Amino acid sequence: MIPVTYRANFSYLLRHPWQLALAIVGVAIGVAVIVAVDLANASARKAFLLSMDAVTGEATHQVIGGPRGVDESVYASLRVDAGIRAIAPVVEGNVRVGERSLDLMGIDLFAEQDLREFTGQVDTAEMDDADAESVFRALLTDPTAVTMSRTTANELGLEAGDAFDVIADGRTRPATLFGTFDSDGTSIDNLLIADIATAQAWLGQQGWLSRLDVRIEDGDDAALKKLEDALPAGTRVLTAAGRTRTTAELSKAFMTNLTAMSLLALLVGLFLIYNSVNFSVLQRRGLIGSLRALGMTRRELFTLIMTEAALIGLISATVGVLLGAWLGDRLLALVSLSINDFYFRVNATNVTVSAFSVTKGMLAGVGAALVASAVPALEAMAYEPRLAMARSTLEQHTSRFLPIAAILGIATMAAAVIVLLASGQSLVAGLTAVFMLILGFALCVPLVVGIVSRAIAPATTRAAGTTFGMSVSGIAASLSRTGIAIVALAVAVSATIGVSVMVDSFRGSVSDWLEQSLQADVYTGVERGDMDPTLIADIVALAGVEHYSTSRRAWLEDDESRVQLIAIQMAPGGYAGTEILDADPDRVWPRWEAGDVVLVSEPYAYQNAVAAGDTITLRTRSGDTPFEIGATYQSYDINASAVMLSRATYDRHYDDDGIDSIGLYLADGVDADAFVETIGVLAGDRQLIRASSNVGIRELSLEIFDRTFVITDVLYWLALGVAFIGILGAMLALQLERTRELATLRALGMTPAQIGGMITGQTATIGLFSGIAAVPLGLIMAWVLIEVINRRAFGWQIDMTVAPGILGSAVVFAVGAAMLAGLYPAMRASRVEPAVAMREE
Amino acid sequence: MQLPVLRAEIAAMQKSPEIEVRVRGLRRTFREGQREHVVLDGVDLDVARGETVALRGRSGSGKSTFLNLLGGIDRPDAGEISVAGIDLTRLSERERTLFRRERIGFVYQSFNLVPTLTVADNIRLVLELNKLPSADAHARIDELLDAVGLADRASSYPDVLSGGEQQRVAIARALSHRPALLLADEPTGNLDDSTAETVLALLDTLVRKEGGTMIIATHSARVAAFGDRALEMHNGRLE
Amino acid sequence: MRYLLSIGLLFAFSAFAQESNNSELADLLGSEDMSGFVRAIEPYEFSFPRDHGPHPEFRNEWWYITGNLDGERDRRFGFELTIFRFSLTPDEPEKDSDWRTNQVYIAHFAVTDADRERFYVAERYSRGALGIAGAEADPFRVWIDDWEITGSGQPERWQLTAADEDFALDLALTALKPPALNGDEGLSQKSDEPGNASYYYTIPRWQSEGTLRLGDDTFTVSGLSWLDREWSSSALASDQKGWDWFALQLSDGSELMYYNIRKDDGSQDRNSSGTWIDANGNYRYLSRDEVTVTVNDYWDSPEGGRYPGAWTVEVQAVGLVVDVEPVIADQELFTTVRYWEGAVDVEGTRNGNRVEGRGYVELTGYAD
Repeated sequence: MIPVTYRANFSYLLRHPWQLALAIVGVAIGVAVIVAVDLANASARKAFLLSMDAVTGEATHQVIGGPRGVDESVYASLRVDAGIRAIAPVVEGNVRVGERSLDLMGIDLFAEQDLREFTGQVDTAEMDDADAESVFRALLTDPTAVTMSRTTANELGLEAGDAFDVIADGRTRPATLFGTFDSDGTSIDNLLIADIATAQAWLGQQGWLSRLDVRIEDGDDAALKKLEDALPAGTRVLTAAGRTRTTAELSKAFMTNLTAMSLLALLVGLFLIYNSVNFSVLQRRGLIGSLRALGMTRRELFTLIMTEAALIGLISATVGVLLGAWLGDRLLALVSLSINDFYFRVNATNVTVSAFSVTKGMLAGVGAALVASAVPALEAMAYEPRLAMARSTLEQHTSRFLPIAAILGIATMAAAVIVLLASGQSLVAGLTAVFMLILGFALCVPLVVGIVSRAIAPATTRAAGTTFGMSVSGIAASLSRTGIAIVALAVAVSATIGVSVMVDSFRGSVSDWLEQSLQADVYTGVERGDMDPTLIADIVALAGVEHYSTSRRAWLEDDESRVQLIAIQMAPGGYAGTEILDADPDRVWPRWEAGDVVLVSEPYAYQNAVAAGDTITLRTRSGDTPFEIGATYQSYDINASAVMLSRATYDRHYDDDGIDSIGLYLADGVDADAFVETIGVLAGDRQLIRASSNVGIRELSLEIFDRTFVITDVLYWLALGVAFIGILGAMLALQLERTRELATLRALGMTPAQIGGMITGQTATIGLFSGIAAVPLGLIMAWVLIEVINRRAFGWQIDMTVAPGILGSAVVFAVGAAMLAGLYPAMRASRVEPAVAMREE
Repeated sequence: MQLPVLRAEIAAMQKSPEIEVRVRGLRRTFREGQREHVVLDGVDLDVARGETVALRGRSGSGKSTFLNLLGGIDRPDAGEISVAGIDLTRLSERERTLFRRERIGFVYQSFNLVPTLTVADNIRLVLELNKLPSADAHARIDELLDAVGLADRASSYPDVLSGGEQQRVAIARALSHRPALLLADEPTGNLDDSTAETVLALLDTLVRKEGGTMIIATHSARVAAFGDRALEMHNGRLE
Repeated sequence: MRYLLSIGLLFAFSAFAQESNNSELADLLGSEDMSGFVRAIEPYEFSFPRDHGPHPEFRNEWWYITGNLDGERDRRFGFELTIFRFSLTPDEPEKDSDWRTNQVYIAHFAVTDADRERFYVAERYSRGALGIAGAEADPFRVWIDDWEITGSGQPERWQLTAADEDFALDLALTALKPPALNGDEGLSQKSDEPGNASYYYTIPRWQSEGTLRLGDDTFTVSGLSWLDREWSSSALASDQKGWDWFALQLSDGSELMYYNIRKDDGSQDRNSSGTWIDANGNYRYLSRDEVTVTVNDYWDSPEGGRYPGAWTVEVQAVGLVVDVEPVIADQELFTTVRYWEGAVDVEGTRNGNRVEGRGYVELTGYAD
């Protein structure tokens, strides 16, 4: 049996369903965004880890080598000379089947033992139709034979026995699907399994292994030592888990930023709950007064309100979690896309709803509702029994609180600055500071808005008439409502300003950088693997080529990190493409060519805290080798922790003569686009290569850049959605409270259109205040995002540029959003019956 | 206290001792679920220009409904209402709004001042609605506030005024555009006796003595006695 | 993986073992699989060291060494090291990668500790590529990972090395006799159809010296070993069930090899045969009529299946009657194919004189 006192309250809420609905929707969106981002992140990460687990199998360690991997003779030597058996060679690479990108994994079935579950599965009854024997024979004896999971085969529309083409190393290879295996989920989908010989041949990796998988029993240090002793210089044993983690870490900054944005949505949602609960309490002050008069204690009253808040939170959170699961599914595609573009292959198709994410979402929703309701609940406790508190008294309460809030806000912002200064390179601390800044700023907004609107109200009355003056002064007079709506919208809009300015600045820097780096007229190369050397020779011999540069990118892994090596054979005049940041280019380049020094990218320098003149250690053919840093150069490459070596230096230290792209400097008058076509014809069937003019590459790069930020767009639109609902709610509340006043105005002869116009004017003004308040906050956020967050997350140095258009359109946007949100309340207000004015309370 | 402008206006009215308010067979019913509740059941009334009529009756006797009908806020189910020669039953919603704006002044029990507007702006609001040029409006506001004795509170917000002061502002607002008819619903209902006297005195001075027409709904005998005649509303009829 | 290996081993054991699933076996040994492979039809001119090396034109082949060893403190041991080779296809594939090959190697390594009644088994498999596994004739070497048999010289001096975690064997072998050719001058018929045969030679007596490690104990060991070499492309008929193989080294310097092929109906296949080698290394063919094997006892495997556990072998032509008994009962290998292969003691008479000896017996097709 619900106590009558509770029923009295709840029935109030039920009689104002829109108010209840808005509170629930607002919080639910906040919770949904959190849950969605959490799920998308977790699912992408989990898919990646699962596939790594499946691919790594029982391997505890992995032996890695130089740019090309591990010399296969190392493997033979480990088995035959050192008698180490729990090792399996792997040749990996990316291939395409039709439009689909797959990972080709070449394995030696004899070395697999029980290392990997799915390779074991191939020989069990899990095999469909085809008998396992023929599959195994085929993998070993048929150079076209491959196998894959049933899911992947289905997605490619293939059945056992089908012949199809695989594009590997830029060449088309005939393949035959011999049987499929069960993949129990996503973990080993997207994988093409072939014999190691086939993988080497297809990927042009003859003589090299991508890695060795090793199984060493836990704590068997002797076995580990034996392995390490047997390995030649230039190779290294890493733990499989550590390697997986290092790879997964690559995307951590990206995911952290997403999470931060989801929290932004909840923060805006928090304002909403506060607004709703506060309003419902104020609205019931008469009822609360009566309950107190009837003998309800303050504690009971507090409990009553908090119970109600918890209930709203619970409903909102439940709706939010459901919504979040749905949203997360959609978000996952975007997240995966970005991760695939930049970090590692992840094939996450389904969001797995984890209890952890759901719990987080529920706690966030209920917690936010309770926190936001505590203030109004405490306020309600202070009501005197029976006192029909006048509206103005309430506003006096509010206006007395405003300076305190503002002081608190300034203190919070000051604390944020301290956090920023004191937190070194911590990304999480940086983001925390961003939130503190937002919160602190938000706390100051109502006071400023109150002062400003009161100050300008007389002027607006004079300039635009009493009706519009009423719009403006109404804001100041009802700050307990409108203040929060303004803050919520301002925070949301400032986030759009912050992110837009950041993205815009970033894009500008990237664009400039691309323009500078792309010195050659035409670039051509393969995505992965080596360009056919004879093809290179033929291309550079084409008429119109004056000079050419070559480049090779390779990854060098270590326990903690991965570094990209870039080996460049510069063309004369190509040096200008690399901006040297901290040294004299005229002195650095000769030393670099001579092999005395290497260059490091700016993010590398930032992340490793090194600079020109320092020495770094790189693993080379002969083991760990020290290199002096000649200079730091600018780079916005996403995998930006890179070391640039001259080709000669690279060749001296690594067994890798591969070239993955060349830059062609054309003679005057040679048309780049026509030349690109010539290259295409020349390459023909010899090798599928990409060729593009520097303009084309820049466009493509910026396209990828823009795609990355689609997800940020989505998130701040959601934050805006919450703010929009906040305004809608606040205005509806105001309209309800002001019914009598509106009725009087109608009785005095205001037409419904005039009433509607007045309300719309008010929401427009609210939007304007929000938009204006959002500008400084947005700029601060942009600055922090650029100078702190981006730097900490990726190590990039970006020049902040503020396009006035962004600020202007943000303000216009805020006004528009507010007016849109005000439409319905205005409509309702205009329908208020003038007769209501006559009724007594 | 003399109000030259107002006096001229009212003097003009007095030249034609016509009937200002004419009501015939007025019927108004409300639906409450299935039940039809007859609030006004064939009310007839003539009010001469310059006359002050007090309507008495218990709560729910239909006084407020009658005032709303007279003010063009509500429409009757049957019957005729004519105010200042205008047949209200023929007016559209918009026309009734404009009629109210120009011809009617309202005084409420709970004052109903706009809390976000200053005293002066509360009055200006009505003048603006009636498109009075702002300089004229300014003068008119000063004049009215002077008349109700609140010249010094022009830029105060209603919430700092006492109940009586608020009602005086409301009266000033109601008279600002020189309405043909002032409708007052329990104008002293929220006021103590002495304040109520002040308000009645003001109405006497500013309306009755200036020849204005006024209908006051009340259940107070004191206020009823203030009228030129007092009518009792009972079972939806006037007696 | 398991399936693959069992298929591989089916090739290996096709000469003397048969899974119960005949149709499966018949599939594997179907004509399609055999086409392109050279088959053992005609007698063949053996040549050494050439024929110590691999014969990849044949589908399967093995190097098979067993022996009985004595260690310090009167410890008695037996060992088996077998390396199988398979050609998955008749022709060598195009070498587009060092890993590309049609050659597969599998090895079994077992040691019997007679006194402690323990039996050690290990198995290896690999493709014959990249130097990880392979076979070469001159100098002779066959190996998988770090297990290898190498050899050279005249008389043959071979070296055998194999190690697993719990046990390891390092043995220097000196051939005391020249190769003996089994069957019809080395053409050993296994079933009636022409071509269902192998080329098969034996070096029946090697002086063996070396070290044996069992767990943490290392023993200096010496004794006699036996080498079987056999290669073929097909051997079994579909109605053949299994195989009992005896390799006995007698104290008078002579040796007996005999294989008894059992049919599904329990009868003895008429292609069962043996070889008698005298102390001088002269050898003669023994038809199945010349050898009588009587089973005296049985051993029930704890994993199921009943194996013969003791025999009397009689070869009237050379006046031999001996009892053959395993040194321990449980010498069953649970490798990809399950079989029994164990050290035995021999005791009896030769032409009325007491004779004793040691040997190895292999029993297949008793347990599935």
